[in-house]
Amino acid sequence: MTLESTKNIHKGIIKNVEKIAFNTYAIEFFSNLNRVFPGQFISIYCPNTVLRRPFSVMDFDENKNTLKIIFKLKGEGTDYLRNLKEGNNIDFLAPLGNGFNIKKQKALLVGAGVGIAPILFLRKVLNERNIENYFISGFKTEQEVIKGADKTFVGGSVLDEIENIIKENNIEIIYSCAPMIVLRKLSEIANRLSIPVQIALEKVMACSIGVCRGCIIKISKDNDIVNASVCKDGPVFLGSEVVWD
Amino acid sequence: MGLEKLKTVLKNEKTGHTLELKTPIIGASGTYGYNSEFEDFIDLNCLGAISTKGITLEKRPGNSGERLFEVKGGLINRIGLENVGIDAFIEEKLPVLTEKKIDFLLNIAGSTIEDYEKLAQIANENNIKAIEVNVSCPNVKQGCLEFGLNPNALFELTRKIRMNYDGFLVVKLSPNTQDIRALATAAEQGGADCISAINTLRGLGVKVDFVGDKFIKKTVQGGLSGSCIKPVALYMVNQIKQSVKIPVIAMGGIASLNDLFEFMAVGADAFQIGTSNFIDPKICFNLAVKLKDFMDKNNFKDFNELKGAIFE
Ligand SMILES: Cc1cc2nc3c(=O)[nH]c(=O)nc-3n(C[C@H](O)[C@H](O)[C@H](O)COP(=O)(O)OP(=O)(O)OC[C@H]3O[C@@H](n4cnc5c(N)ncnc54)[C@H](O)[C@@H]3O)c2cc1C
Ligand SMILES: Cc1cc2nc3c(=O)[nH]c(=O)nc-3n(C[C@H](O)[C@H](O)[C@H](O)COP(=O)(O)O)c2cc1C
Ligand code: FES
Repeated sequence: MTLESTKNIHKGIIKNVEKIAFNTYAIEFFSNLNRVFPGQFISIYCPNTVLRRPFSVMDFDENKNTLKIIFKLKGEGTDYLRNLKEGNNIDFLAPLGNGFNIKKQKALLVGAGVGIAPILFLRKVLNERNIENYFISGFKTEQEVIKGADKTFVGGSVLDEIENIIKENNIEIIYSCAPMIVLRKLSEIANRLSIPVQIALEKVMACSIGVCRGCIIKISKDNDIVNASVCKDGPVFLGSEVVWD
Repeated sequence: MGLEKLKTVLKNEKTGHTLELKTPIIGASGTYGYNSEFEDFIDLNCLGAISTKGITLEKRPGNSGERLFEVKGGLINRIGLENVGIDAFIEEKLPVLTEKKIDFLLNIAGSTIEDYEKLAQIANENNIKAIEVNVSCPNVKQGCLEFGLNPNALFELTRKIRMNYDGFLVVKLSPNTQDIRALATAAEQGGADCISAINTLRGLGVKVDFVGDKFIKKTVQGGLSGSCIKPVALYMVNQIKQSVKIPVIAMGGIASLNDLFEFMAVGADAFQIGTSNFIDPKICFNLAVKLKDFMDKNNFKDFNELKGAIFE
């Protein structure tokens, strides 16, 4: 995936912080970022943590100059973010990584948990480009549901009916962001059905620009197994290239 | 950029070997890439130098499993020296450094003395002006104890590298020792032109969760860096400075102008910035500007004068 754009430190001004589901918040902020693609992420400076915190872009409006992320409360970084107020400044690195490589093919979008964030952005762009798509999401409980999908699974797995959905909708390509275990299963299913799948991965990051080699996964390339960084080579990979451990 | 006053020269008075630095601020090994990785953020010509990712003879894939663990005030890493190997460095990375006129120290690492000797030879053949020797590596032939923990082994290692290398030789010391003074002395006697310190401290990150009725444990053992190691680094630099005459490049948790002053107070001749680059990728440049502004405002004509005034 080779979408290029220059990364830099940006300043954002908080427009709005909103609780959207159980322990889940959305932040919208103004920035001077001029381009960002679905699947790319930003890395926010949190004064109470050592490292920056990475978050997928959930929406970008180039006319209003706003960016949106959604996040689940986890620890100190997300606690800082949750307490931001309108008008506060944030400092973030962006745009980071390579996003989804959008194809003109009928798409299935799969988002589970807060993994739905980049998928919501992708859905918007697919719709703008009139690319047909069907969007499913999965959450552990009703309280955690983030809206936006055509079909939402609660409790079970987002993959429960996946093969039927693929067949009924004549799906040609799949895009997903979800916990590792879901992405792995999804990749296995897609490989079996010979449908290309692009997955957005998460790994703990330090530099988020490909320098420290802290966020490495293994991928197969030219009959070899090589290291790839989630932050720079990813976070979007082909399900067929990832070597699962 | 007007940073001329920050120019400084590291000099081994005994041999006359020198290293000229445009500023005393260097991007630390493993945190600054191989060459131009930070050019989106800063003009790399405004840096004293970068120290490259540690380079081994053969390419290394690094460790599998989790490589990072954040702790209060610091970071534990177990990258495992993932690097492209010296051949690819010379072929692919060095031309970029040369073309973009980026000053650098080649950071080298090995598992035997012969590895280091070969790396030193290759650096020499390629006219690399300065190397930084990472001695915090397991010595395969000596039961995998770090080279840098035994003064005799370190003396021997430095001497052998010196015999193969004519440029500016920096030995980077490990802090995981009882006696940093003996190690610094061993490096100096072995022919080092300069000491850099400190490398990461050994650390263990532990995370325990209680889910349902079970404890879930996660541990990451590796090298600790960041602001939490600064007091150890200050102690070590102070000790080293009292035991050797060669210059000392200080590092360990540097994040602010005041941190630079603290290290100057114990005798630092230059600085490296590691973990802080991950938080602020412009920090090496920003600190240089802050240092210069301070010197302008307080009428210090050059870095040497400032250093002297603090260290006296
Ligand atoms: C590319 C990318 C995109 C992401 N997008 C989103 C998003 O859109 N919404 C969202 O809620 N979360 C997202 N995450 C996960 C998010 O970064 C973590 O939940 C967050 O860093 C937790 O920080 P904390 O201080 O609150 O938690 P803590 O648990 O205190 O964090 C401790 C350490 O673990 C790291 N960490 C914890 N969980 C994760 C995780 N799942 N992935 C990577 N690092 C983690 C932190 O960065 C930190 O170094 C993304 C992660 C990556 C790598
Ligand atoms: C992710 C990471 C990778 C590192 N890799 C190397 C390396 O390859 N060689 C080396 O000599 N030191 C390496 N170091 C150590 C740093 O160069 C530095 O000595 C140490 O981190 C202390 O400085 P700091 O607190 O400013 O980070 C690494 C440190 C980090 C955080
Ligand atoms: S976080 Fe440093 S290489 Fe990805």
